[in-house]
Amino acid sequence: MFRRFAISFVFTLAALGATARTRPHYGGTLRVEVAGDPWQRPSGIARRLVYDGLTQLDPSGALQPALAISWEQDNSFHRWQFRLRPGVRFHDGTVLTSATVVASLKASCSARCPWDAVKAVGPLVIFTNDSSMPNLPALLASDQFLIALTANADGKTPAGAMGTGPFQASDFKNGVLALAANENCWSGRPFADSVEIRVHRSIRDQWLDLGLGRADLVEVPAEQLRQAQQQRLSVLTSPPIVLLALQVSDAGLLANVKVRGAIAAAVDRSALYNVIFQKQGEVTASLLPQKMSGYSFLFPTARDLNKAHELRGGLATGELTLSVEGEGAMQLAGQRIALNLREAGFNVQMAPVGVQHSDLMLRKFLISGNDPSAALERILWDADALVPVTEQTSADLYKREQTILENRKIITLVDLPLGYASGARIRDLRVRADGTPDLAGTSMEDAR
Amino acid sequence: MSLRQKLLLLFSLTVAAAVAAVAWTVLVRIREVFERRDRDETSLFVSQFQREFQHRSADVAASIDRISAEERVRNMAFELVQSSDASPFLNEAQMLAQDARLDFLEIVGPDGSIVSSAQWPARFGYPEPAANNVAQTSFLKREELSDGSTPLGLFAVRVIRGAEPAVRLVGGVRMDQNFLADLPVAPGMQVGLYSEEGGPGRAGRDAVHRFDPKRLVGADGVVPSAERYAALIERARTSGHEASGILYLTPSRQDSVAATAIPLKNSDGLALAVLTVAISRSGLVAEQQQIRTIAYGVAAAGILLAIVFSLWIAARVSRPIEQLARAAEEVASGSWDARVPVGGNDEVGVLARSFNHMTEQLANQREKLVQSERVAAWRELARRLAHELKNPLFPLQLTVENLARARQLPPAEFDEVFNESTQTLSMEIGNLKKIIGRFSDFSKMPKPELERIDARDAVSRVRNLYAAAGEDGPRIEVVMKLEEAPMPLMVDPELIHRALSNLVLNAKDAMPEGGTVTISAGNRQHNVEIRVSDTGQGMTPEECERLFTPYYTTKQHGTGLGLAIVQSIVADHAGTIAVESCEGQGATFVITLPRADA
Repeated sequence: MFRRFAISFVFTLAALGATARTRPHYGGTLRVEVAGDPWQRPSGIARRLVYDGLTQLDPSGALQPALAISWEQDNSFHRWQFRLRPGVRFHDGTVLTSATVVASLKASCSARCPWDAVKAVGPLVIFTNDSSMPNLPALLASDQFLIALTANADGKTPAGAMGTGPFQASDFKNGVLALAANENCWSGRPFADSVEIRVHRSIRDQWLDLGLGRADLVEVPAEQLRQAQQQRLSVLTSPPIVLLALQVSDAGLLANVKVRGAIAAAVDRSALYNVIFQKQGEVTASLLPQKMSGYSFLFPTARDLNKAHELRGGLATGELTLSVEGEGAMQLAGQRIALNLREAGFNVQMAPVGVQHSDLMLRKFLISGNDPSAALERILWDADALVPVTEQTSADLYKREQTILENRKIITLVDLPLGYASGARIRDLRVRADGTPDLAGTSMEDAR
Repeated sequence: MSLRQKLLLLFSLTVAAAVAAVAWTVLVRIREVFERRDRDETSLFVSQFQREFQHRSADVAASIDRISAEERVRNMAFELVQSSDASPFLNEAQMLAQDARLDFLEIVGPDGSIVSSAQWPARFGYPEPAANNVAQTSFLKREELSDGSTPLGLFAVRVIRGAEPAVRLVGGVRMDQNFLADLPVAPGMQVGLYSEEGGPGRAGRDAVHRFDPKRLVGADGVVPSAERYAALIERARTSGHEASGILYLTPSRQDSVAATAIPLKNSDGLALAVLTVAISRSGLVAEQQQIRTIAYGVAAAGILLAIVFSLWIAARVSRPIEQLARAAEEVASGSWDARVPVGGNDEVGVLARSFNHMTEQLANQREKLVQSERVAAWRELARRLAHELKNPLFPLQLTVENLARARQLPPAEFDEVFNESTQTLSMEIGNLKKIIGRFSDFSKMPKPELERIDARDAVSRVRNLYAAAGEDGPRIEVVMKLEEAPMPLMVDPELIHRALSNLVLNAKDAMPEGGTVTISAGNRQHNVEIRVSDTGQGMTPEECERLFTPYYTTKQHGTGLGLAIVQSIVADHAGTIAVESCEGQGATFVITLPRADA
């Protein structure tokens, strides 16, 4: 009897212990290190912690309410109205109103907006456009349209970043951005009391700090995921949501679609995928990834140098410039593409880092959400070629993609994942649909 | 130029030429010695530098050797061969190159394609032909980079041990400014590298090549005065052999270098670049200049001394000759007492003695001549006086005798004879007075009282006086020809009038049958020339020669003093008188007087 009781007691204690380990604790400071600027779009880690959008994507990619609790379209997607969540306040206490939302949206896209007009009517934010906007709610979940306070109640511009997110910016000193938990966050208080983001830290140093316990979360670029795994780091990756593509100008000789076709045929995607990006993600010749569309495999990815020569037809294209968005593996990929194109008879020179406008631009496009139409429209928006995507079936989407890709202004190359490595203190870390880590839902093992 | 100056010049030139010849010989010899030393030093430095360069080549090969022997590299090669997957090693070459401080490093797989490239990471998968040069210690190669440049590098190839089939490493260092800066160089040595991307290596040695000074770089950047190296570099590049020479980088000789151009060839023997080793000659030139300065100083001092010595010699040699010359001039000017000191028994002494003897003889001869002339003059004077006086004396005698005989005549006849005789006596006595007066005038020429007159006035006065003189005798026309320009003279007008009158009277006397007397006057440079011409019979040259001799006359009743007086007057006015005449063509007397200042 006693033996049975004793065994039951031990099991009970064990069960209680297990329960205690799985329950998240409030408190503690999350130490994050990043290579770039945490405020930079589209994947700046601080933006998603400080700001919210009208809508948001849950980890599965489904569209969810955020600052707007509901939305409805009218007039065949030419008009949308979003009803704001009541009782939401910015970090300084300013009440979120439709007017502040409109001001923020106007500030975020003053020149190029997917709508013609946006106005505040009571608790409603109303968007109107001459053409239809079938995927506007999904588009508003993107990083660009996060809501920031542009002027407080006194009409003054806030001193720092002011949003409604789970954390608020508190300090920036010695390369460390400090974020404090927003106790009154509409989505609930985050577990961590604060987040310290050390900026402009090289990947090597990030990993070193992680190994030494000086960082809790560091970045792992796609090309180093395998190495991180070999080093037995605790790696968390997103699905392949970053589309690496070559955006081709249509000016000068590149106005000739055959010349652009020659460029598309000359690019060796497999070398990029297999070697430079270390077989992470997937090779693609389509805009949407295979998992999302189901038809990506229909677009041929193989290099065809003979076809490239044939399409170029001996045309002298002069010197083409190739700019690359990003550093490291992106620059290497750019060099490889330049080398590929030289083999096809193109004289391609790499533009200095930071140069945006060139004949060829190697860019990253974010594929977020699980709605193919919305994801495709988002890509087109990022490529300055926004057109409404209303197709819903795979067959229609395939035809639409084919039409878009036929003009060779966008040459897709590889879909890449985003990766992070976390330390032992981190619990319940998840990656959001846009590839950023969800630090609001993350707690720490040693927090009390 | 005097004899002394000629001697001085001769001696000085001789000595200066000798000194210059010696100095030139010494300087040439010194230059030869210095240049030989310079060549020797240059070749020594160049050979030392070449050894250093070879050491660097060996260092590159040794670095690749060390890398290929590393455990992790061998493991990498083993894994590469086993898995045939090159992707994990994409960045391996960069890390290895960084550790080994190599500018270039490529890992080349068994198939000859690049597995990893430090210098152009995107070049993986492409073939690397240089990987086949395993046997060579090190070699030169142009490496193409992603930016399109093709820098020159010193490469070595090694097989990574343990991997079969072979995995190779192709590594090297960039031959650029930093490479040159690392090379130890002697003080004053400057090393440069002339490399044309795609130039010598691609175009070949026969292609037209244009030298670009900016491509000649040294440890501190572009080599100063790089264009001066063009010919040397071109010579080395085209010949494929070392070329040496002296280069003057600036107009200053001190900025010259002894340069050697060494062609750097690839494994095919093609010159990819040219290495220049330049050794400054500033020290050498400074030494040369110092020696040259000393030589010039010594030569100048020698020449100066030679001039001083030449002065002394020339003075010593020329002094007796100058004394002789001065004495000869004195003799020429009439000083017959001139003597020169006699010193020594050399030729100059003999000449001096002979000169003194000659002047002594001349003085004696002159004295004798003067005495004889004086006697002759007195005789002539006596003869003249006798002749002149005899003419009036004879009528006087006849008249007195006639008067004495007339005492026998009746008083009336006696009175008539007496009156006639007294008239004759008075006339003849008058003639005697006149003759004596002329002689008196000649002996007592008055001192000129100078006035400023115009020659035209003097001539006009004479012409006016004698224009109508021919009315009683033969027809004589007096013509005057004067320049319009003023002809000022500072003369005694009366004496000049007298002289001109004498000449006109002589002219009239020379034309008993009548004729024309022409009086002309004109400016001749600084003088005024007055000419009195007649159209008479003229004179023989002998007559012309003796014309101004006192008491010489061609006229039957002349005293021979007229022209002598004219000459005396003209001489008293610092002028000259001359006669131009040919027999039968008249005569012209030319008086030249100095023109008065304006």
